[in-house]
Amino acid sequence: MAQVAVPEAGKNSPARKIGRVQQFFSDDKRFLLVILLPVVLFFLIWNALPTMWMVGMSFREYSLTSATKIAHFIGLDNFVYLITSADTWSALSKTFLFVVGGVFFETVLGIMLGFLFWDSSKMPGRRFALTLLFSPMVLAPIAAGNYFRLMVNPNFGVINYLISLFNGGKAVELLTNASLAFPTCLCVDIWMWTPFMLMMTLAALGSVPKAELEAANIDRLGWWQKFTHIILPHGKYILMLGILLRTIDCFKTMDLVWTMTTGGPGNSTELLGIGLYRVAFQSLNLGRASAYALITLLIAIAFTSIFLFVLNRKNSAEEA
Amino acid sequence: MKKVLAFVVATLIMVTMFAGVSAVAESSLAGKSVTLSILGIGGWKPSSLAQEMGSELFASYAKQKYGYDVTVTFAEAPFDSLFQKAATSLAAESSEYNLIISDSQWLGALSEPGWIVQLNDLIAANPGLNVDWYSKSASSAYQIYPDGTDKIWGLPQEADVLIMYVRADKFTDETERANFKAKYGWDLPADKSNAAWEDIDFVKYGQICEFFTRPDQNMYGTTIQYSKIYDYLTGSLYPYFWSAGGEVWDPTTGKVSGVLNTDKNAEMLALAKSMMSYCPPGAIDVDIGGIVENYTTGKAVTAWQWAAMGSTMNVEGTDTWGVILPGYRKEDGTVNRCSSLGGQPWVVNAYNDADQMQVVTDFLNWWYSDETQLEFAKRGGSPLGKNVINSEGFEDLQPWFTAYKYMMQDGNSKDFWHAPAYAELLAVQQEAWSAFMAGTDGSVATAKAVLDDIAAKQDAILAK
Repeated sequence: MAQVAVPEAGKNSPARKIGRVQQFFSDDKRFLLVILLPVVLFFLIWNALPTMWMVGMSFREYSLTSATKIAHFIGLDNFVYLITSADTWSALSKTFLFVVGGVFFETVLGIMLGFLFWDSSKMPGRRFALTLLFSPMVLAPIAAGNYFRLMVNPNFGVINYLISLFNGGKAVELLTNASLAFPTCLCVDIWMWTPFMLMMTLAALGSVPKAELEAANIDRLGWWQKFTHIILPHGKYILMLGILLRTIDCFKTMDLVWTMTTGGPGNSTELLGIGLYRVAFQSLNLGRASAYALITLLIAIAFTSIFLFVLNRKNSAEEA
Repeated sequence: MKKVLAFVVATLIMVTMFAGVSAVAESSLAGKSVTLSILGIGGWKPSSLAQEMGSELFASYAKQKYGYDVTVTFAEAPFDSLFQKAATSLAAESSEYNLIISDSQWLGALSEPGWIVQLNDLIAANPGLNVDWYSKSASSAYQIYPDGTDKIWGLPQEADVLIMYVRADKFTDETERANFKAKYGWDLPADKSNAAWEDIDFVKYGQICEFFTRPDQNMYGTTIQYSKIYDYLTGSLYPYFWSAGGEVWDPTTGKVSGVLNTDKNAEMLALAKSMMSYCPPGAIDVDIGGIVENYTTGKAVTAWQWAAMGSTMNVEGTDTWGVILPGYRKEDGTVNRCSSLGGQPWVVNAYNDADQMQVVTDFLNWWYSDETQLEFAKRGGSPLGKNVINSEGFEDLQPWFTAYKYMMQDGNSKDFWHAPAYAELLAVQQEAWSAFMAGTDGSVATAKAVLDDIAAKQDAILAK
């Protein structure tokens, strides 16, 4: 029987190469480092560096329209200007109102709809209804804003046409009246983001153990008791996460309202995001805009921290 | 004889060919394929005409005259974000846009960092660019920075001015005329001539608007830009101030206080707000497109609109007159009118390489030839060359050219700041004026307080 000569694996043979790679990754720490490196680099380049740049810029006087001028260090001047400006406080108060109003109604409506669709696999047209309900959430806010801007136009908008049928033929200036523009924008935000809270509610309800519900049914617990003793304790974490995400997102609202009113009439819908856009891209004052962005960021962080603190304290208390 | 004739013809052909070759060979770009990239205003006819005419006409002109192939490309952005698009590209020292259609207020902001070419030398070397302009004040607005110097940074791509468009059918309707006369005691203007409209002051115009405001018929007297976007509201307000003899700042001292916040300007600001009651619903949100919408759908009988938008200001089945804006009646009884100057200059990217500069130069030389400017006017653009505007038949080219020519005269229109801080100055007043327009209190006292506030803020900006 003829013998087949097996060639010895060379230094650069594929088998050796694979072995070296395996050896390299056999060290857990090294493997972790390699896996994390792209994420860390991404974070450094796209988050940390721009944020540091923004922080540095916030202490300087720099405008895009005077680009030859050196960005002079002016200490806290930008912050002092913003904190003493009535416009900033006006935008801040409107933003808080927008966040509180928006998140509250989105949560309440989302929970109500969630209960409607919970355990409703036999409901006719359930999928179709859910698809319709979720569709606003997947629209780009800019598209939704423009869509509503046209629909409520007092001259040709379909919503205003319908209103005029019940209003003696008179259109209502929903976006061009200083008292109505804010609630109209809020309604659109609620229309757009209630589905998100519906989704979170369905997820929360899905996390409730069926056995406990069955036991509650056997014990003939009332609806409210089931809700407070079984559903809420299990579902509240997912629900709270939804509220937290919506709060952060709502706080940043800019594009939706900008396309509907550009912050007007006057400054009746000028939220913080719009104020920031105006300073950065209309006044082109990049130093002051950086300070504005930093203040906004700090408020958002404070918001989130308080929220998480309250949530964690409750958890700790319950665990204890 | 035949041989002699053949020799002469052959010689002529040879001479002609050599002449052609030498003309082509003069260009350093001969035989090359180049791209001319223009950045302009999105949805703005005069800007798109530059691209349209560049592609259609300049490309064949360049091939014939200079022997190179040129592709004209056009990038665009809306008015309120064009500066960002241009500035960020120029700040990166990019030659992405060889030629930019800028707004006249940006000359300071674009020239100070050295982003655009000072054109004095280019104009000196190219006599075709040394155009005799129809209006000295307008040409200065499009070209000069700082004001009062001889430093040229731009060339007028299109001139423009705020004029008025009116429904001819309403003004010529005998019943309407009779009813109007019975109510106000004077006749509605009967045609579009300047003479017919020269006596229309703000008071008379208010009466016209009041007369035609009939919400039950979904018809309103006027439509004016009150939008807080970019400079839309500002452009509509300045004719009130300027016509009444007011100013918005003192360019020599750089002071606003005491100039903008006068009692007369406050009175005019309150008057401008009062005109909203004659506008279709949603007046505060109306921008250039909103004016077109309100007018072309028959909701507004008159409209304040830029001359550049003339080709869009048509109501189906009726004639439109382009007429001069109303003015302010002085104590001597004469009516003074001064409109807002619109329009944009070309500015040349300072980071263009030699080939790009050559094609830009060739393009500008072609653009300012009388033939091209006349073609521009025929297509709806507004030229500024004196030869073209004063040429016979110019006013018949477009229905609004009579008013355009009148309002472009020195003293009948003005531009505002060219200072690098223009964006901040503009944002401050747009915000404050929009809030005033949106408010329920339209009194002169409140208007004065608004102007005081703006003046203080703008002084602080200019003092930096």
